Amino acid sequence: MQTKRNWVPYLLILPTFIYLILFFAYPMVRGLNLAFFDDEANLALHAEASSDAAIADLIPQSASIEILGRQGNLVAEEVLDENNLLTEIWFTIEAPDVDGNTVTGWASESRIRVREEAEDGTPIMGTVRRRLGSNADPLTSVYAEPNENSDVIGQLEARTEVQIVELATLEVWFLLKGENNGTPVEGWAPSRYIQIFDDEITGRVDRGNSGEFTTKFVEKMVNDRFFWPAMRYTAILLLLIIPTQFVLAIVMALVIQAQLRFNSFILYIFAIPLGVSDLAVGILWFAIFTQNGLLNSFLQTVGFIESPSSWLTADSRNWILVAIWLAEVWRATSIVMVIVVSGLQAISSEVLEAAEVFGANMWQRLRYIILPLLRPSLQVALILRTILAFQVFAVVIALSGGDVVTVLANETYRQYFDLRNSNVAAAYALLILVISMFTAVIYLRAIRTQEEASAT
Amino acid sequence: MAEIKVQNLVKTFGDFTAVDNVSLTIADKEFVVLLGPSGCGKTTLLRAIAGLGMPDSGVITIGGRDVTYLPPRDRKISMVFQSYAIFPHMKVYDNIAFGLKMNGVDIKETDRRVREAAELLHIENLLDRFPNKMSGGQRQRVAVARGIAMQSDVLLMDEPLSNLDALLRLEMRAELKRLLSGIDATTIYVTHDQIEALSMGDRIAVMQDGVIKQCDAPTTVYDMPENYFVGSFIGNPPMNFVEAQIIKQDGALLAKVGDFLMSPHQVMVPLLQKYEGESMIMGIRAENMETLDRPADDALKVKVLVVEPLGAQNLLTIRIGDDTVKVSTHPDLKVAADDHVWLRFPADKIRWIDRGTKQVIYPQ
Amino acid sequence: MSSETIPQVAPEVLAVHEQMKRRQRIRRGLTYVLASLICLWITVPIFFIFSMAFTTQETVRSYPKGFLPFIPFSTETMTFFLNSDGIFEGVINSITVAVITLVLSTIIAAPAGYAISRYIFPGRNFFRLSILAVRAFPIVVLSIPMAVMFIQLGFFDSVYSLSLMHTALTLPTTVLVIASVFASIPYELEEAAQVFGCTPFQAFRTVVLPLVMPGIAASAIFTFVMSWNEVFAASILTIQNRTLPAQVLFALGNSSEAYQFAGGFFLLIPSLIFMFFIRKYLFNMWGQVSK
Repeated sequence: MQTKRNWVPYLLILPTFIYLILFFAYPMVRGLNLAFFDDEANLALHAEASSDAAIADLIPQSASIEILGRQGNLVAEEVLDENNLLTEIWFTIEAPDVDGNTVTGWASESRIRVREEAEDGTPIMGTVRRRLGSNADPLTSVYAEPNENSDVIGQLEARTEVQIVELATLEVWFLLKGENNGTPVEGWAPSRYIQIFDDEITGRVDRGNSGEFTTKFVEKMVNDRFFWPAMRYTAILLLLIIPTQFVLAIVMALVIQAQLRFNSFILYIFAIPLGVSDLAVGILWFAIFTQNGLLNSFLQTVGFIESPSSWLTADSRNWILVAIWLAEVWRATSIVMVIVVSGLQAISSEVLEAAEVFGANMWQRLRYIILPLLRPSLQVALILRTILAFQVFAVVIALSGGDVVTVLANETYRQYFDLRNSNVAAAYALLILVISMFTAVIYLRAIRTQEEASAT
Repeated sequence: MAEIKVQNLVKTFGDFTAVDNVSLTIADKEFVVLLGPSGCGKTTLLRAIAGLGMPDSGVITIGGRDVTYLPPRDRKISMVFQSYAIFPHMKVYDNIAFGLKMNGVDIKETDRRVREAAELLHIENLLDRFPNKMSGGQRQRVAVARGIAMQSDVLLMDEPLSNLDALLRLEMRAELKRLLSGIDATTIYVTHDQIEALSMGDRIAVMQDGVIKQCDAPTTVYDMPENYFVGSFIGNPPMNFVEAQIIKQDGALLAKVGDFLMSPHQVMVPLLQKYEGESMIMGIRAENMETLDRPADDALKVKVLVVEPLGAQNLLTIRIGDDTVKVSTHPDLKVAADDHVWLRFPADKIRWIDRGTKQVIYPQ
Repeated sequence: MSSETIPQVAPEVLAVHEQMKRRQRIRRGLTYVLASLICLWITVPIFFIFSMAFTTQETVRSYPKGFLPFIPFSTETMTFFLNSDGIFEGVINSITVAVITLVLSTIIAAPAGYAISRYIFPGRNFFRLSILAVRAFPIVVLSIPMAVMFIQLGFFDSVYSLSLMHTALTLPTTVLVIASVFASIPYELEEAAQVFGCTPFQAFRTVVLPLVMPGIAASAIFTFVMSWNEVFAASILTIQNRTLPAQVLFALGNSSEAYQFAGGFFLLIPSLIFMFFIRKYLFNMWGQVSK
């Protein structure tokens, strides 16, 4: 062990450190954000039809709105392929106006019929369209800028030939009116956030662009019909699995410590489940409990049952729980065993002999020496196992299809994958985190108070 | 009364015989040290007496009670372990009290004995502490306190000082001696350190290859080893061994070392008669030879190979025939390597060893 | 001594001894029985799924199946599974992800493990503790935001993004394991090599590296198995490029039992093989945890 203080160790841990920040710290923050922050809660309404203009008001997502006006606005390249985007094309044209002067200015694509295109499809020549309707202005205005509110710099007769110099894509902005918590609000917003109804003058805010803190995802999670069953089954499974696992793991550890003749082989067998995924375990036990599986085959061959019974259906929830319980005990006991064996190996044989010499029998040695010395290992195993137990999910899907019996991790998966709701999924994920941490803290507390009690 | 009697004890581990037909009787309240090189079986013997390893055959009795195969807790013994074996999760107090608690001693008496033991070892101030932050010396004291708090008739100590550094060992040695003389237990003390053995034991049992080679008072073991091994193992430097021919010249029995002739002590003469014409091993301690810086009739001329000044004495390494011999001399005798000196062998200090049996021959 | 009669152990003590020996024999016998029972508990399900994976599809559907060893052997089920949609790609993806993960996490973790075991530096305990905390972190919590993040970065549904995720999951374990491997090699060895003329790097390469290689290999194997087994993140982070477990999980609801059983056994194979090689290292790996 080197005690020299230099920068080498920091350099050595730097990659790990950076990696953990990138892939632990950042996702954690992002997860909190997903669960508690609605990115699309409000739509910002601008004072003018420009994203540079000041934000006048906010209007909540899915509020009803009334369209008061519309205007084109140059659109940035990167938003062009967004959904809902309403665009119009404007041309810079060059044409003789009513007075015979040549004007150069902007006109909407809707006013110009393109007559000639360049080889690459760019329009180069066109004529001014005729206005329809009896009281329509027969002339077409040419604007200084690509929007109808800018200065008119000339008027064109219908059918005037125009040269198309340039073209610009504009996004339509709407001047809209609506309510935010009872307060009337008004302002401009781009079309991509808005859904216009068929009447062209009413609509609703499709999504927002300005986020806010919200508990609605959490509420949605709690109100989900699978939430409380998931909580309940998670708790039941935890209470079933953990104690069984610890008893079995201690027994397995003592068997390993007894150094039987085929110890190395026994250790191999004991260690196999350590490397088995919860999905494989789910399938393994599904093969046993399914209708024509091992269990029924065995029971029927032996003569206990006349016809196959169903263990894994909605009518036999408890059997599903038993199957999950056995599967998890089968899979995850090995890791506890390994930790307990490491703990046992750390107890010096002289300490045990001393206890023997000073009069302790086998049970007293277990009670006063072995178990207390094993406590740190058991602690670690307990915390590790509890936290891992909250993450069980493929077993549950394999054995129950994920509906009849469900757990929190499974709901996270369902929300994200089947329901495409990453916010609620993130809320579930955070709930799992909070419960895990909480349990760990409770364990540590309980252990500490116990230590204090024994110290006095 | 706790006389310990070991009779014909055998303990094997597979093919290896750790204790080979050992018999040993230790009187009540006696302090016996089991001394020997590592692997000689001394710890195995102690563990058999403690009940931590059952013997293959033989009998062990403590205070007349046969305990050969009884578990340790039924033997009314107490023990101090080599690595101390302090229970790391218990405070010092609970460590010392453990044996009393297991044996159902009542709380008041336990408390009294714990405090008494702690006081004896000067660890009263540590009683409320956990052992993990304590030094080796402190743990050692706790281990000894735990051992004596039991007030058993038998106290077994398995190399209790071997894990301490040299200075601390010296201090604890003296303290242990004082302490153990104050308690009434029959004590067996295992060590590979002969200074510990010589300074502490009432008797020393020197072991080699699972056999007790000699069991006597320290001075006896030192001065009058029973065999070649004990002489070569005890003492620093160990006893010198020189080959000598027994010859008869002019009716007198003489020992011939090289060309040098000398007469054995007269009580030895009848015993050496039968070795006439044969060679024997002559054993003599470094400090028992007289070194002269000028020739004398009764002195052997030798060449000094190495001189090691040790302060109170100088240690000379010389060769006699094929044997390397260490001689300690007074620092006033000025010699250097390659000088010649003359050695005189006092007849009463020479031990005669049979080459075949390696036994030292003593008059009855 | 020879003339003395050989002393006899008192009969009551001998009786105690006999009783103790008997008890010990019984206890040992019971331990063997216990060991066998636990071994059966672990192996019978594996053997059953193996029989199901290597038999005819007809047998898989049949009922009752009779006693275990008499199920006919055939590669039909396994062949059917391996030829199903997405399985070959899934196996390739799984192996790719696992290999990238083990390389990446070993490369990143090895220096950190060395630093923890060889240097004492301010912040060392904090670093160790955060690694310990991170290691117990629920995968579920990370997968969702990571998926959202990868979608935004346009890096979604690829074996590479999944490898990055798996590396994050395995990294803490790998760091701790490698630290314990290095800790088992005394620093004096490196110093000795330096005294005999090596540069620090040469000392590391010629003395330490050969000694730690087996341990690091074991840790890499364990990383491989962890990645191969990981279902949740794999299901969340991939759509088209599914790994094997994600593919099997996805197909679970609408596939035949033959497919499921063969898939289940196939998923088991790495564990069956690799645990054999790394079983001795497990205690080193996990012993470190509780310190």
